[in-house]
Amino acid sequence: MPDLLAARAQMGTSLAFHIIFSALGVGLPLLLCIAEGLALFRKDKTWMMLARRWTRAAAILFAIGAVSGTILSFELGLLWPTYIKFAGAVVGLPFALEGFAFFLEAIFLGLYLYGWDRLSPRAHWLCSFPIWISGLASAWFIVSANSWMNTPTGFVIKNGKVVDINPIQAMLNPSTPYETIHMILACYVATGFGVAAVYAVGMLRGKRDDYHRKGLMLAMAMGVIAIPLQIISGDANARFLVDAQPAKLAAMEGVFKTEQGAPLQIGGLADPNTGKVYYALEIPRGLSILATGDPNATIKGLDTIPREDWPNPLPVHTSFDGMVASGFFTLFVALVFWFLYFLKKRTIPENRVLLWAIVLAGPLSFLAIELGWMVTEFGRQPWVIYGYLRTKDAVTTAPGLNISFLVFSLVYVLLSVALIRLLLGVARSPLPKVEIPGNRQKPERAGA
Amino acid sequence: MSVALIALSVLWLGLIAYAVLGGADFGAGIWDLFAVGSQAQRQHELINHALGPVWEANHVWLIFLIVGLFTAFPSAFAILSIALFLPLTIALIGIVLRGSGFIFRTYAIDTVGPTARWWSRVFSTASLATPFFLGASAAAVASGRIESSNGNVQADLGSTWTTPFALTIGAMAISLCASLAAVYLTVEARNNHEESLAEMYRLRALIAGAVTAVLGALGLLLSPSEAPILWQGLLTRALPVVIATMLIGLATAASLFFRKYSLARILIILETAFLLGSWGLSQYPFIIPPHVTIDSAANDPNVIVALLISIGIGMVLLLPSLYYLFSVFKLPSSPAPGLQKKEESTPGDLS
Repeated sequence: MPDLLAARAQMGTSLAFHIIFSALGVGLPLLLCIAEGLALFRKDKTWMMLARRWTRAAAILFAIGAVSGTILSFELGLLWPTYIKFAGAVVGLPFALEGFAFFLEAIFLGLYLYGWDRLSPRAHWLCSFPIWISGLASAWFIVSANSWMNTPTGFVIKNGKVVDINPIQAMLNPSTPYETIHMILACYVATGFGVAAVYAVGMLRGKRDDYHRKGLMLAMAMGVIAIPLQIISGDANARFLVDAQPAKLAAMEGVFKTEQGAPLQIGGLADPNTGKVYYALEIPRGLSILATGDPNATIKGLDTIPREDWPNPLPVHTSFDGMVASGFFTLFVALVFWFLYFLKKRTIPENRVLLWAIVLAGPLSFLAIELGWMVTEFGRQPWVIYGYLRTKDAVTTAPGLNISFLVFSLVYVLLSVALIRLLLGVARSPLPKVEIPGNRQKPERAGA
Repeated sequence: MSVALIALSVLWLGLIAYAVLGGADFGAGIWDLFAVGSQAQRQHELINHALGPVWEANHVWLIFLIVGLFTAFPSAFAILSIALFLPLTIALIGIVLRGSGFIFRTYAIDTVGPTARWWSRVFSTASLATPFFLGASAAAVASGRIESSNGNVQADLGSTWTTPFALTIGAMAISLCASLAAVYLTVEARNNHEESLAEMYRLRALIAGAVTAVLGALGLLLSPSEAPILWQGLLTRALPVVIATMLIGLATAASLFFRKYSLARILIILETAFLLGSWGLSQYPFIIPPHVTIDSAANDPNVIVALLISIGIGMVLLLPSLYYLFSVFKLPSSPAPGLQKKEESTPGDLS
């Protein structure tokens, strides 16, 4: 394949792989912190067992997150030297701040993972706070850099040179509040439903003990708080794009022709060659209402944008609808779960259909993250820095990009296989024996 | 003193931190390759015990270097990325396999089974390869052969980083990492009361140190022809540092010989710092000799000042945290707050 395509494929694969671990890196430490806190304050062994088990998974997942993140930081230069020359100059700062947040995360992670037998219970629990706080900060900083690529600010171009750089203004560019919040919430949604799916599988296999119920409950609690906020945040993002990136919005919604009272196209295939959306479910005036609140509002179509500046609406529209659909599915599952929970006087519902829906919601939440990134990345094309630098002008001149893509793909396959085998092994291994100092002993429950 | 020079000095300190911390982790991986025979399992456990809590934090120094470099000197970073595409890509794959190999072998369900053994090999082989390619890349920069005068940089498939000089420095990077690790592992083994392991790593530290010295001397001999700018600098402004590096090297060997292990650990850290310091000092004022200087590659001063302020604030949070991490796991002599009262755990206990 051409070098540009190979470089994009390698970058895309790297991001798609890393994003799973970064989402868990933001969400899982909060679950750990809550579970260990409940264990200490309620003197409850089950919560402690959950915290110990999650720690083992976290050690593996975070290590893979650290190395796959390193790949990305190298690739910014190795694949896109022209991009990093520009972006490094203007938004290097959030990358550096993210570096510090990652540093603190790694330090306290080391203390947390290996300190169970060395630190006092309270000191150990306190070590979980810097982990989730810096995970949150990392996500914010790194997504602010991506926001800048969508709405670049904080510099002036004079005689082809980037001057008058204001790094703070670049970091706080117009997209930052929308994108960062959307991604952080996505991390909690995906972690919540991802962990819930693990315990739902266990319960479907007949392990309906306290351990599985508590694991499911805490994960679903995180999910049910995050998912409605996420849908509100998604709506705010789309409204923001009306003026900030009309080309992206048009591609997301499959709008080819500028229209007053534009319909909402649900599903379907947006064909850029014919300028039509095939097989879509059409809701009259739906898009105008959603995007602006006014049923007669005009929505800019791709026809207002020069053809060479079009993103490809086919993957953007399809990814967007896939993301929204899985968002609403998870919302529905969470609401049914908590409705039944309170209806049945605070007992965890164990309905098989509901458990199966939770099993499905886990992977779908991660899929939604992947699709969301496809929307924002494909939707920004052909630009890497919107309006300033085209992706094709940013790629390296180094040869052998096809080989590089092939080698990295093999590395990802190898890591994925090893990781899945290892995590399944962890899930099957017997639960750790735990003690809570000075507690009233509860009988230990079996489970795996 | 310009802000760019301050930024580069800070990055150089970061490089030293990565070398003495991350470098030692690579070195431990190298020694893992040599762990055979009846004591093999005890050596694996000692290495797991030494690396486990700290390797991820040590690794972040590399991220600090990369983001610091592209924020403060974006054009230099772009040139290095293009010119050293191949060795840096190989080093990157090495870094990835080292980290994942380590975690897959330590957390394997059957820690002595075939899967764990295979990942052990991946871990140690990657630990051997990575410092070599990083060292060779550094030598390619120091030799001043990465052309960029006309702004057109060519990706180089081997002419700058496979010279005798670059190969020597690559090999020296391996032996330096191995020496650092051997000294640290001697201290760890002694703290765990594993006297025979401590003796073994003491001997290995002496051998690796001697190899590093020989390779260093060879590198010096090759510099007049292969890295003239570096050689000029080494003879002039960096000369005191070069002499100090040699003397500290001898002192490290002596303290190992007399079994003053904690002193040896401090000395080998100093040794590494002086070695890297002499490189930086000799090629001043260039970042990439012979064309790219600190000032010509520097970003807008606004950004560098913002970066330095952020680093200052970041360090206020980072340094106490790092000290706490190391005092809990590495410095039994300085008791940290929050420690458990009971006796310490057995090495290799992970969950």
